[in-house]
Amino acid sequence: MATLPVQKRRSRSPMESEDMIAGWVFLAPAFIIFATFIFGPILYSLWVSFYNRNSFGTVNEFVGIQNYRQILNSPDFWNAFRNTAWFSLGVVPTQTAIGLFLAVMANRKIRGKTFFRTAFYFPSISSSVVISLIFLWIYQRNGLVDIFFNSLNIPLPNPVWMQNPKGVIELLVGAFGVDSVPMWLRGPSVALLSIMMLNIWTTAGTMMVIFLAGLQDIPTDVYEAASLDGASRFRQFRDITVPLLRPVILFVVTLGTIGTFQVFDQIFVMTSDGGPARTTTTLVYLIYQEGFKFGRGLGYASALAVILFCIIFVLFLIQRYFLGQTKDR
Amino acid sequence: MVEHIRFHRLPRRTFVGIGVAGGAALALPASLRNTRAQDVTEVRLTHAPSSPAEQNVMTGLLDTFMAQYPEIRVSYEPVTQEYNTKLQTDLAAGTAADVFAFDSLPAPDFMAAGVLAPLNERMAAAGVTPDMFYPGLIAAFQQGDETYGLPKDFSTLGMIYDPSLFAAPTETGAIIGGTPEAGASPSASPAAGGGLAVPTTWEELRTVAQTLLDETGQAPIVFGPNFDRYIAFLYQGGGMVIAEDGSAITIDSPEALAALDYYYGLYADGLATTFTEVGAQWPGDAFAKGLAAIVFEGPWLIGFMAESAPQKPYGIAEMPAGPGGQATMAFTQAYGVNASSEVQDAAFQVIAWMTGVEGMTQWSTGFGVLPSRPEVAAVYLEQFPEREPFLVGGEYARPWALGPGGERFNTEANNELQALFAGQQDTATTLANMQSRAEEFIRLP
Repeated sequence: MATLPVQKRRSRSPMESEDMIAGWVFLAPAFIIFATFIFGPILYSLWVSFYNRNSFGTVNEFVGIQNYRQILNSPDFWNAFRNTAWFSLGVVPTQTAIGLFLAVMANRKIRGKTFFRTAFYFPSISSSVVISLIFLWIYQRNGLVDIFFNSLNIPLPNPVWMQNPKGVIELLVGAFGVDSVPMWLRGPSVALLSIMMLNIWTTAGTMMVIFLAGLQDIPTDVYEAASLDGASRFRQFRDITVPLLRPVILFVVTLGTIGTFQVFDQIFVMTSDGGPARTTTTLVYLIYQEGFKFGRGLGYASALAVILFCIIFVLFLIQRYFLGQTKDR
Repeated sequence: MVEHIRFHRLPRRTFVGIGVAGGAALALPASLRNTRAQDVTEVRLTHAPSSPAEQNVMTGLLDTFMAQYPEIRVSYEPVTQEYNTKLQTDLAAGTAADVFAFDSLPAPDFMAAGVLAPLNERMAAAGVTPDMFYPGLIAAFQQGDETYGLPKDFSTLGMIYDPSLFAAPTETGAIIGGTPEAGASPSASPAAGGGLAVPTTWEELRTVAQTLLDETGQAPIVFGPNFDRYIAFLYQGGGMVIAEDGSAITIDSPEALAALDYYYGLYADGLATTFTEVGAQWPGDAFAKGLAAIVFEGPWLIGFMAESAPQKPYGIAEMPAGPGGQATMAFTQAYGVNASSEVQDAAFQVIAWMTGVEGMTQWSTGFGVLPSRPEVAAVYLEQFPEREPFLVGGEYARPWALGPGGERFNTEANNELQALFAGQQDTATTLANMQSRAEEFIRLP
C-alpha cells in the first residue's frame, strides 16, 4: 500500500517494469505455494463436486448438479447443519463475551497480569487432540464433572455426558412437563454441549489476545476525560471500549463463526462417528464421513464442502453488514 | 492472523502432514524397485498392527518367508493410525502397496470398487481352495464366484465371566488365571466358587443375570449400544440383515425385533448396563476393573487382561444360543492383491504362503490370533487351549460383513441403537429406522 503513491508519480520507464518484474519474482514463491496447495484444491474440489466419484477414484462420471440436489434433500445434511448451527450459536457469542471480559481484566494494571494472560492463552496453544482426550476423561462417569455435580447434589444426566443425545432445550422444557419438542427446537444434545464447553474454553484465550491488541489501540486520554466527567467504569466500558472495539469485535465474531463451522478435531477425537444418535455430526465431520468412511464418495463430499463454503461466506456478509459499518463513522 | 483462522483445523493440517510424509515414504521404495537387480522382485505389504508385539511377529514372519523365497523381497509398511483412510487415499492416488490387509466389513466396498485383483485363477494354479478356510471367513472376501482375499486370521465373540460366581466351566469353556493349581482341574479350582451354572441359552442368561442382580444389586452384564454386538443376538434369534439369496434387506423382521427386545431388555430391566455408565472405556475394561460379571468380547480381551488385571481370573464360554440356535460374529481380515500392482504373481505368492499352513502356524502361534484354517487349529490349541471357545465359534460364526456400504450403515445402526438406549425411541422404531438406513446405504447385488 505504501508504494502506491510513489508509483503514481512515476512515468512509464524501464525502471518501472524492472520493479514490476522484481515484485512478481519476490511474490512468486508464496504465490506458487498458495496456488498449488490452496487455490488449486479449492477449484479442483468445485470440479469434482459435479462428478459421481467414489473414494477409490475408480468410478468417475459427470452428474451435473445431482450431488447438490441430493444433499439439499438429505436429512443427514440438515441434521449436520442444525448441529453446526447450534454449535456456532452457542460458542461464538460466549467465547466473544468471555474473551472480551478476560481482555479487559488482563488489561488493567494488576499484579501478575502477565501470568493471567499466559494462563488464559495457554489452552489455545496446546494440542487440541490432547485437550480433547483430557476432556473425555473429565466427562467420563465418576470423572471431574460428575464429582462436581455430585458435590452440589445436582442429579447426573443419564446416559453419560458424551453419550447423551438428548437436547438441552428439550430437557429444560421437559422439566416443566412439555414432553414433545420438534427436532429442530431440541437444542444441542448434552454431548454436543459438552464439546461446546471445551471449545469455548480453548478459544476464549485466542479471542482475549486479539481483544487485548485492540484495547492497546484505544488512547488512554479518552478514558481519562471520561473519568473527569464522572463516567462509571461500566459506562466507560459500554460507551468507549465497545464502540471503539467494533472492528475487532467483527473480526473476532467472523473468526469464531468460521472456526465453529469448521469444527472437526474435537468431534473426531471425542465421539464415535459423530454419535450419540448423530447429534455431534457437524458439517465438516459429515464431509469426512461421506468422503473417507465408505460413504457416498468424494464427489458428494466435495459438493458438501462447496455448500459449506457458501454458508460461511453468506454468514460473513451478514456479519459485515451489521458490525462492519465503521467507515461512515 | 491466518494462524487464528486455521486454529480449528489443526488436525486436518496434521493429516496433510502425515499424508505428505507418508507419500514421500511410499514414493521411495517404488523408485528403488526400478534400480534393483532384476532377479529380486520387491513386494510392498501394508497392514495395521495393533501393537508393537504384532509388528514384531509380522517382521519375523516375513523374514521366514524371504529365507524360503530369496527371489522375493517384501518391504513391510505398517500403518498404526487411520489405516482405512490412508489405504483409500493411497488406492485413489495409485500409490497403495502391492499386498494390503483389509477388514471384512468394508471388504464389499473394496471388491465393488475394483481395486482388488481376482484370485481364483492363481489360487487354482497354486492348489489353494476356499474350503481350506472356515466358511464364514472366506465368504466375506468373495463376490459371486470370485475370491478377492485370503483370510489371515479372525476373532469371534465369546462370553467372558467372573468364575468366582459360577460352579464350573462349560464343556468347551476354560478358566484363565487364579491360583496356580487351578490349571489341573478347572472344576475343582477355588476360583470357581459360586453355585451358578454358566448360561448357554438366552433364558439361562436372563435367569443367571437376575440371580446375580438380586444378590449384588449391580447389573452383572456390561455391554454397549453397539451394532457389532447386537448383530450376534440378531443371528442367534434367527434374524438376518440381508436375505439368504441377497435380494432384500430384512433387518426389520419379527425375529430381529425379538432379538432387539431381548438385547435391549437386558438393559431396560437393569440386568445389563453400558460400559460408559460404569466409567469404563469398553466392556473389557469394565470387566478388568471388576465392574462386570459377564461381557461379550473376543480373544483381544486375553492380552488386555494380562496387561491390566493379571491377577484376576476369568472364564471363557461360547455365546448363548437363542431361538435360532448358536451364532457368533467372526471379525476377520484378509490379504488382497492390489489390482494395479505390477508384481501380482509375486504378491500372490506372498499371501498364499502367509495364509498357508506354515505361515499361518507361525503367525497365529506367534501373535495368538485365531488361525483361519481349521488345519492349523490343533497346533494352535496345543499352545492356547483356553481359547477353544473362541475357536469353536469359527464353525458357526457369521462374517462381520454387511454388503457394499455396510461400513457406512454400521455407523448409522450404532446411532439408532444409541437413540434407543437413551430412551428416545422404542425397539420397533429403531428397527424401522435401521431398515430404511440399510436400504439407503447397502447396495444389494
